[in-house]
Amino acid sequence: MGVTSMRRRGTLKTGLLPGGNVALEKIGLTEEDVRDEIMSEEQDLVKELVTMSTRECIQAIRDLPMCMEDKKNIRNQVLASKSSKKGFLLTCSADCSEQISLSLRRCGVGLSSARQAVRLWQGTMKEIGGRFGTSVLSYFSFLKWLLMFNTISFLVNFGFITIPQLVQTSGRSPDVRFTGLELITGAGYFNQTVMYYGGYINGTKDSDFKYNMQLAYFFTIAAYLVLCGVSLIYSMARSFRRNFVLSDLSSGSAWRLLCSWDFSMVNERAVRQRKNNLRVQLKESLSEMMQTNFLPVSERMKQLGIHLCTWVVSAGLAAGSCAAIYYLCQYNLQQIKVSQNPGNLKEEASTLLLPFVVSLFNLVIPLLYSLLSKVENYSNPRFQIYVIILRNVFLKMSILSILCFHWVNNVTTNVPMCWESYVGQDLYRLVIVNFFFSIFGSFFGEFLRRIIGTRCMPSIGIPEFDIATNVLDLIYAQTLTWIGIYFSPLLPLIQMIKLFLLFYLKKVSLNRNCQPPRRSGRAAQMQTIYIALLFFPSFVGALSLVAYTVWCLTPSDSCGPFQGLNTTFEAVSLWMEDTAIISEFSWAVWIYSHMIKSELFFFLLALIFLVLIYFFWQITQGRKMLIILLKEQIINEGKDKAFLLEKLRTFQNLSLVPYHAENVHGPQYFERTYQTESDYSEGYQRGACPEEDTPPFASSALMQAMMARRQAEEEDEEY
Amino acid sequence: MGNKQTIFTDEQLDAYQDCTFFTRKEILRLHGRYHELAPHLVPMDYTNDPDVKVPLALIVNMPELKENPFRNRIVESFSEDGEGNLSFNEFVDMFSVLSETAPRELKAIYAFKIYDFNTDNFICMEDLEKTLNRLTKEELTPEEVKLVCEKSIEEADLDGDSKLSFADFENMISRAPDFLSTFHIRI
Repeated sequence: MGVTSMRRRGTLKTGLLPGGNVALEKIGLTEEDVRDEIMSEEQDLVKELVTMSTRECIQAIRDLPMCMEDKKNIRNQVLASKSSKKGFLLTCSADCSEQISLSLRRCGVGLSSARQAVRLWQGTMKEIGGRFGTSVLSYFSFLKWLLMFNTISFLVNFGFITIPQLVQTSGRSPDVRFTGLELITGAGYFNQTVMYYGGYINGTKDSDFKYNMQLAYFFTIAAYLVLCGVSLIYSMARSFRRNFVLSDLSSGSAWRLLCSWDFSMVNERAVRQRKNNLRVQLKESLSEMMQTNFLPVSERMKQLGIHLCTWVVSAGLAAGSCAAIYYLCQYNLQQIKVSQNPGNLKEEASTLLLPFVVSLFNLVIPLLYSLLSKVENYSNPRFQIYVIILRNVFLKMSILSILCFHWVNNVTTNVPMCWESYVGQDLYRLVIVNFFFSIFGSFFGEFLRRIIGTRCMPSIGIPEFDIATNVLDLIYAQTLTWIGIYFSPLLPLIQMIKLFLLFYLKKVSLNRNCQPPRRSGRAAQMQTIYIALLFFPSFVGALSLVAYTVWCLTPSDSCGPFQGLNTTFEAVSLWMEDTAIISEFSWAVWIYSHMIKSELFFFLLALIFLVLIYFFWQITQGRKMLIILLKEQIINEGKDKAFLLEKLRTFQNLSLVPYHAENVHGPQYFERTYQTESDYSEGYQRGACPEEDTPPFASSALMQAMMARRQAEEEDEEY
Repeated sequence: MGNKQTIFTDEQLDAYQDCTFFTRKEILRLHGRYHELAPHLVPMDYTNDPDVKVPLALIVNMPELKENPFRNRIVESFSEDGEGNLSFNEFVDMFSVLSETAPRELKAIYAFKIYDFNTDNFICMEDLEKTLNRLTKEELTPEEVKLVCEKSIEEADLDGDSKLSFADFENMISRAPDFLSTFHIRI
């Protein structure tokens, strides 16, 4: 018997019972009977709780839908019977263990409340949720989650890679002076520091500092990426299960009425706005219901044509921007080749042109996309949002792929110095300029738009906070950071600072310039989509680029911890060869040579996974069939119940004769006579609800059924 | 554990902690809020369990509840006497169920109670009409209201009795993933 059934039992007391004492008398039960029933239910509940462990017991008590006094009552009974059970054992040790567990529990609770106190931005998020609702709040939670990823990355990199390097090279200082421009361009002074790959040296050979920087660099980054991947997959799967699999309610009326109101909104204006929006949405859906959906064939062909055109135009825009960026990259490389003076200020500033153009495309083209979507006419607004998101993701990912292609193919061969540091600097500049463009985007998109909307053209009105664009921006920046971990281990620090500042910036802009969103809901499903986007093109892309770099590309000869090796991964092979000499680790060497290096192993693994996936898919199909059958069964049972109640009623109305007690096991239900038919409302009449005191017939029958069940259980116990 | 507070005994705080989703600190903070509602009525010393109830009119003026269209029903569902006067136990219970960590089933039970205006354990047409009027400030015409309510019942009613029993309601809630985050009042 699970906790659910206990909850159902608990509802007996709380008044999910019908109408009160009047009802009970009319069906022939006294208050005594009901109280006895309730008492015995409680005893059963206490007996079940005693058998559970302390933590499960507390969780079960918390989940009971009773009032506080009853819960305390039950808790005291459970504690009393638990201690009396233990009383048979050695009381001294039982006392000690009780005290210990109590103090442990208090400690644990103290820890969790301390953790809550230091939780970042708790009060601010409450405010935002109260004013703007849960969908806008999801953007800020997403930001906080990304901040956590970057913090872990920074701590891990700093601890395992940077600190040993700093210890190693303490005493050496770079030759270049620090000018302020480095903060933006990332070159110059930063070039030779631990900021980039080039600042790390494998020192095991020439000093007595026994730290293998090669292995540390490789394994730290690999471990962090694996951890990220696992955590993303876990979040994505959990979110998907909770928000997608179980819900198939398209915005139906029932959902809108009963589940969509956001109880956490406390701001008066926001509440008023929300009510207006709900009214507008209901009117819209009513008018949609009225309209017939027949479109003539020519209309549909026209619609299809328009859709095709817009898709072609958006793909064309993306391709055009990719081509422009590629040519700009080539131009940059050529400039480096012909440059005579590498420390020239003007040349350093010209390196900012590429990030500027990239961010400009990322800002302007989505605006064009939203203009395009106004031309199209989607029947389903949710579908429209999906299409917009898809186009934006396609744009951002194609720009990133072209940049990666350029780095991997051209930069490795054409750059005279450290190519990894060059790539790292490019990424640094991209991240910084992206931040500035986020600020500009906020300024233009929200602040100016509000000014225009309120002063110049009141028809536009106050802007809404565009969640999709902002979240995609965050995902893009995070992709850059993940790509950059290999080339610039301290890039997560920059991203951390950036996210921190962005939170406050967006909060201020939101409070001053935006209104709560008009279309309510679907925050949970969008959250799943954003996490999925963070995993699939973003993390997987970054991971594949880093993997390709590590596996196939030659590290540069003049800098970095992997100088002189053919590929970065060779460091691991060399290490394995070294440990093969030591016989204690021969198992590790065996694992390496037979599992990681062999293709047959991965092929077999992939085959097994495919078989498992097919198997689980078949199970899912079977369960869908089961759900359909169960739904039909519920409807049939409802009809059965109506039929049986009808029979019961006619039977009771006919039986005015007293019933002999021996013939029936159970209290004398049928002894009293019933007055008139009008006392009982037809429980299954369409839509009418009784206004008088008398209970609906269905629930009195429920009471009778429960008493009968109780009786049957007692009989079982007797035998 | 640092500060010595004299509002509750340790056993009382343990009991509150075990029966609700709040920690000791939050319970003390809730007591502070409860006291603020009616400072002359609510004693600071709860060690001997005084029998004090704050009336409905004061509770619905709390900033967390003031703008909620269902504030009266919320408070009435948690009060023993059905009138909306809450003792401290009921006050804590209310915010515990509406807190973030309460499970979906528990919230569904109380949400059902809240939407069941005539307390007959079914959400019938009239309950839905009242809900809709509260949500839209009565700006829909009566025909529109009737249409929307009929459509809602059609969508959610599983056993075909043209009103929503708790099982129907719970089934609908289980398919609405946003419910846990929307049926939530922060305090």
